[in-house]
Amino acid sequence: MTWNAIGWTIIGLAALLLLFFRLLFGRRGRYLVREQPAVHAFLEHRERAIERGEKCLISLGDRFWSRAYPALGLQSLSVTSKLASLGPGGLEEQFLATGSGELALFVRQILQGDYRDGYSMALNLVVPGPTPYAFMAGFLADLHLFNPGSVGLFGNYGTTGAVNMEAAEKKGAHSFAAAGSVSTQAALFLTTRDLLIGEEVYLLPGLFDELPENQATWISEDILRVLLIALLVIAAGLKMVGIL
Amino acid sequence: MKRVIPVLVLIVTGLAILAGYFFPVELSQLNGLLINWGILLIGVAGLIGIGCLLRTHIVRVIHWQKGALLSVVVLVAFLITLGMGFLLSPQDSFFRNWVLNIQIPVETSLLALLAVTLLYGSLRIIRIRGWTLMSVSFLISALISLILNLQYLQPASGTAGYEWVEVIRRIPLAGLRGILIGVALGGLIVGLRILLVMDRPYEDK
Repeated sequence: MTWNAIGWTIIGLAALLLLFFRLLFGRRGRYLVREQPAVHAFLEHRERAIERGEKCLISLGDRFWSRAYPALGLQSLSVTSKLASLGPGGLEEQFLATGSGELALFVRQILQGDYRDGYSMALNLVVPGPTPYAFMAGFLADLHLFNPGSVGLFGNYGTTGAVNMEAAEKKGAHSFAAAGSVSTQAALFLTTRDLLIGEEVYLLPGLFDELPENQATWISEDILRVLLIALLVIAAGLKMVGIL
Repeated sequence: MKRVIPVLVLIVTGLAILAGYFFPVELSQLNGLLINWGILLIGVAGLIGIGCLLRTHIVRVIHWQKGALLSVVVLVAFLITLGMGFLLSPQDSFFRNWVLNIQIPVETSLLALLAVTLLYGSLRIIRIRGWTLMSVSFLISALISLILNLQYLQPASGTAGYEWVEVIRRIPLAGLRGILIGVALGGLIVGLRILLVMDRPYEDK
């Protein structure tokens, strides 16, 4: 079996599982995902900040695409869509920041669509800076200007994301991150109160909204993970006895 | 129709690019064309991003909001750089030196800020997270990794100590691979959700 065939098998299996469970959960059944206290805390603090008339700052990444983590940009778009449709009463208090033009373009489109549904004219999208360091400097200035009650970090970042979250904590805002590469997540672990790590980051949009397609995603991901773990253990065992 | 066409374009493009990873020779021309279109669109989107950035600062200056002075600095720096870039061209050595001699020190100072933040964060991690298993093991593993990478412990090659040090050095790699497998699966599922039209964040409602 070639690596190409293995790749197609995994992708095909993932697609089949997604479709099967989407159909299954559309009619009956339910899959409960693991509890994520960090997500509950973020939503609670966000709501509380909006009620107090404080700003909510949502950062969607200093770039849209990265070779190692290509899906993070899509994740931040899904998060935007979910956050825009949550509690339309507070849309004026929610500010979204991004460092890339293409992300700004997509986010703008999502906001326009969702805000029109919520009868709001707010389109609070800011681009603090077009490069990672410019974004960091601009974001720090925006934190000072907005004085937010809640800050959420999503999408692609370098380790500079940790400085943004440290500054948010210093401002007294609740900080939540579901972003970045492995090294970024290690840096964020030092400065961010509530943090999602690894594949949990991709579960996030569904945690805001437990639709059947999100439940299908969770169960497909879990099945594939268990399968891969089993394969790795079997391969390691076979290698130890000299068969592989 | 307004909804169907974008979905069709998305599925066909996504599948063509995906197939290109597995059949690179057969689909090289088609994928090259699609990627070039993508790069062109990203370039245009980059201009829109800069437009958004300028708009934010111009509005701030016009209404003289909090931070307007900083916005004036941003706008003036932008206009000078843009003007010089058009006048001298980005390849001009004077222009490059001039921009890089401002940009590099500023970015280096931000990098230093990051280093200090991380050091400070690691010192007060227990205060933020408490004495949890995760925070304590994070600190201990970071400390062990630091000691090993500073080469303070260097047992002679071939000894049992050397083997142990090598095993301990490889443990973070195992953890990293575990996380990367999870991330790869998550990425795969997110991509498939978009391709299978189960998630349509791009859609105008």
